[in-house]
Amino acid sequence: MTLFLGYLVVGLVTGCVYALIASGLVVTYTTTGIFNFAHGAIAMASAYVFWQLWQGWHIPTIISVLLVLLIFAPLFGLIVERVLMRPLDGKPVDVPIVVTLGLLLLLVGLINLIFDQTKGRHLPQFFNGAGFTVAGLLVTYEQLIAALSIVVVAIALRILFRQTRIGIALRAVVDNSDLLAMAGGRPVRVKQLAWAMSCSLAAFAGILLAGINALNTINLTLLVVDGYAAAIIGRLRNLPTAIGGALAIAIGQELLFDYLPQWGFLTRIQGQIPILVLFLVLIILPQDRLRTASFTGAVPPRVASLRSSVAVGAALIAACAIVAPFLSDGNLRNSSKGFAIAIIVLSLILLTGYGGMASLCQMTFAGLGAFAMGHVASGASWLGVLAAIGLAGAVGALVALPTLRLRGLYLALATFAFAAFMDAAFFGESLGTGGSLNIGRVKIPGIPTTSDQAFFIVTCVAFVLCSIGVLALRRGPFGRKLVAANDSPAACATLGVSVNSTKLIAFTIAAALAGLGGALYGGSPGQVDANDFPYLFSLTILLLARVGGVNTATGAFLGAASLTLFTIFVAPHNPTVFGHVLRLAQLQYVLTGLAAISVGRDPNGIAGRFTDVIERVRSAGRPQPQFMTAAGSPAAVFMSEEGEGLVSTAQ
Amino acid sequence: MSAPLSDVLDRDATEGHPALEIADVSVSFGGINAVSDVSLTADNGMITGLIGPNGAGKTTTFNVITGLQPPTHGRVFIAGQDVSKLPPHKRARLGVARTFQRLEVFGSLTAYENLLAAAEFHRSWSGDSTPPKDVARAALDRVGLGSVAEARVDSLPTGLARLVELGRALATKPRLLLLDEVGSGLSHEEVHVLGDLMLDLAKEGIAILLVEHDVELVMRVCSRIHVLDFGLLIASGSREEIQQNPAVQAAYLGVEEG
Repeated sequence: MTLFLGYLVVGLVTGCVYALIASGLVVTYTTTGIFNFAHGAIAMASAYVFWQLWQGWHIPTIISVLLVLLIFAPLFGLIVERVLMRPLDGKPVDVPIVVTLGLLLLLVGLINLIFDQTKGRHLPQFFNGAGFTVAGLLVTYEQLIAALSIVVVAIALRILFRQTRIGIALRAVVDNSDLLAMAGGRPVRVKQLAWAMSCSLAAFAGILLAGINALNTINLTLLVVDGYAAAIIGRLRNLPTAIGGALAIAIGQELLFDYLPQWGFLTRIQGQIPILVLFLVLIILPQDRLRTASFTGAVPPRVASLRSSVAVGAALIAACAIVAPFLSDGNLRNSSKGFAIAIIVLSLILLTGYGGMASLCQMTFAGLGAFAMGHVASGASWLGVLAAIGLAGAVGALVALPTLRLRGLYLALATFAFAAFMDAAFFGESLGTGGSLNIGRVKIPGIPTTSDQAFFIVTCVAFVLCSIGVLALRRGPFGRKLVAANDSPAACATLGVSVNSTKLIAFTIAAALAGLGGALYGGSPGQVDANDFPYLFSLTILLLARVGGVNTATGAFLGAASLTLFTIFVAPHNPTVFGHVLRLAQLQYVLTGLAAISVGRDPNGIAGRFTDVIERVRSAGRPQPQFMTAAGSPAAVFMSEEGEGLVSTAQ
Repeated sequence: MSAPLSDVLDRDATEGHPALEIADVSVSFGGINAVSDVSLTADNGMITGLIGPNGAGKTTTFNVITGLQPPTHGRVFIAGQDVSKLPPHKRARLGVARTFQRLEVFGSLTAYENLLAAAEFHRSWSGDSTPPKDVARAALDRVGLGSVAEARVDSLPTGLARLVELGRALATKPRLLLLDEVGSGLSHEEVHVLGDLMLDLAKEGIAILLVEHDVELVMRVCSRIHVLDFGLLIASGSREEIQQNPAVQAAYLGVEEG
């Protein structure tokens, strides 16, 4: 009985932490309509700041806590609101997803850059683990505070939202900011307050979680994601339901953990229960009451014709053949890895750029591809390549089936949950912590693929062929149907087609493509380990695609090329600044994050500007289209008045 | 283009079923009745008007017919077949096409591609062997969008985007066409041209149900008119009957009683 009570208390305390996380998410969502993917990263960063104050600079406990919760976190929230969120007003609905994902990567990268992750850090227990005994059970003061805090937070938020003028304004602001402003409210103040509160709540949860677990940027960020399930149960709006969900998840998880038999697979997934709940809740909840967003990205340029895509592809292969002899073996391997990444990004051009479906698990499919390649026929045969494509495609179809009706944010969250789950339950285990899997290079008769130079050309050719294939798909009936399904599912239905099979096929092809990329990705260095396919890398892939140009194969190449150049020229350097070793490889996340955040200011991103310039150059060279030709037709008459609308591209 | 169509229509005509019949359809949203016990028909080769003030339930009725909005109760028959349980895409395959008051274009495709996609959809479920490109070209010319064929539709003004929707509907060779304010956003002359097109389509045997605010257009092209007000069908009849109906004048036309 005491044992059971002990488990219950542990579950209850975890549940309270999940509830704190969920309340933070609900506060920003109800007031700004933005789901903050970076909530976990803010919690993690706050925990590090707290560690620095308390353990690093030996500031007394209570002062450190107050500094973080009342100064650092709210200030951070204000800055986030002012710099990142305010420009999002009136922007396409997928932009907040990109910006908050960018913030997540930025924070992880920054903390990794500042705090050397090879050194272990942990927070001592508060009150040195002291507590009191109830029915033979030791309850620490820390646990008591965690449990009480959520009660206090829940009551405080309830009073704030229901009873006070600002609380009513908080709820009004999301419905209609402009109307609130006209009624004399101050929507900006209200949003600032919401972000400040949300960040404080995140910081509180982060400190409590860091006390239970060791400080680690990636794990801590993921632990906070466990709380997202509770927020989704509350449909991102209902605080009491979210808190109830948080307690149920945590207590259920704890009891399952303690009472289920310790079979290999079960043991592995027990830690993943909140993530599984997140996935299931997303699938089960009715969607119409959730805000949806389609993930469209930049205004696309014209789709390249077969002739021009073949020409550009041939030029790229020729250029690679010319530079190959001048590259070192290491750089050749990095570059062939770059083409493998380009193929993975290309899978998102199809899925996200054309189909509007965001996937945050492309590296998972790549990992499955590498896994299949390494295990089939001694790891270097065409059978392995086929297995890579087949396994990734099959798992892709399995993931797609239940998630087909999800759009925008909810599909992103579901794929995020899947990636996080696979990180812990599959890659960590099957590849082994610290272990690795040998992956060969496919044997092609007459080509010595074991030479780095030949393999570099092989990956380049593979990328070019995949690009030509994806572009051909886009120009054909399947591509039109995919784009149509994204632009208007309702119109597709009233034109006699169901779009589900189209979306399923697109998701499967994209997963298979990522699997192929993964097989090549592993073949480049010859082996992979569990750290090659982290969920964070999947975020990088999506953001690279979104920033680089989610609608063009060139965008995939540019995104991957920038990453490769970074790997070659920046990542290996670790300069010492003020006695700190700066691991510049971490700048990868920082820079990707910053680029993604820039999308908030200009939704078309860098690619959109690029496209704009190209279109302008092109249209300068040819006569302007004539709108007045078919006189008498409604179109001609109308265009004479509003012809402007056609000529100007992305506004 | 209309040869195989008229065969089908003749058969329907002999069976004596109207192209569309809805019976006692009601829709309520959270206790508010958007549509209450509405019954109406639309016949082959005729333009039937469905008019009424804003919020009268016209678009909701269209959504019920096409299957996008499940009714609280009531039934829908297409050419005599009860389609009440069919999903939207299965209803479309019976020859129903529509346009939307709130635009539902494929914005990132060109005008031509919008129509081509529709023609390809049509071929995939109808077995019609006409090359989709020919169907799309013909429909494009018909709605007069030849000059903007290569423009992305989300860069077109609303009036033209509505014509893209009309062209897209035509590319599926419909037998029943539901037009939801397809003329709004067009100039007076353009609306006249559009009216001619509708009359031509009706002559080919297509049944058209027209929701329109332009009273002049409605009175010019419609043979029968149904009037909705606050979700209730307050009148059905010929042009003249509707014009003289006091209830209609009060609800809709009756500015002088204001």
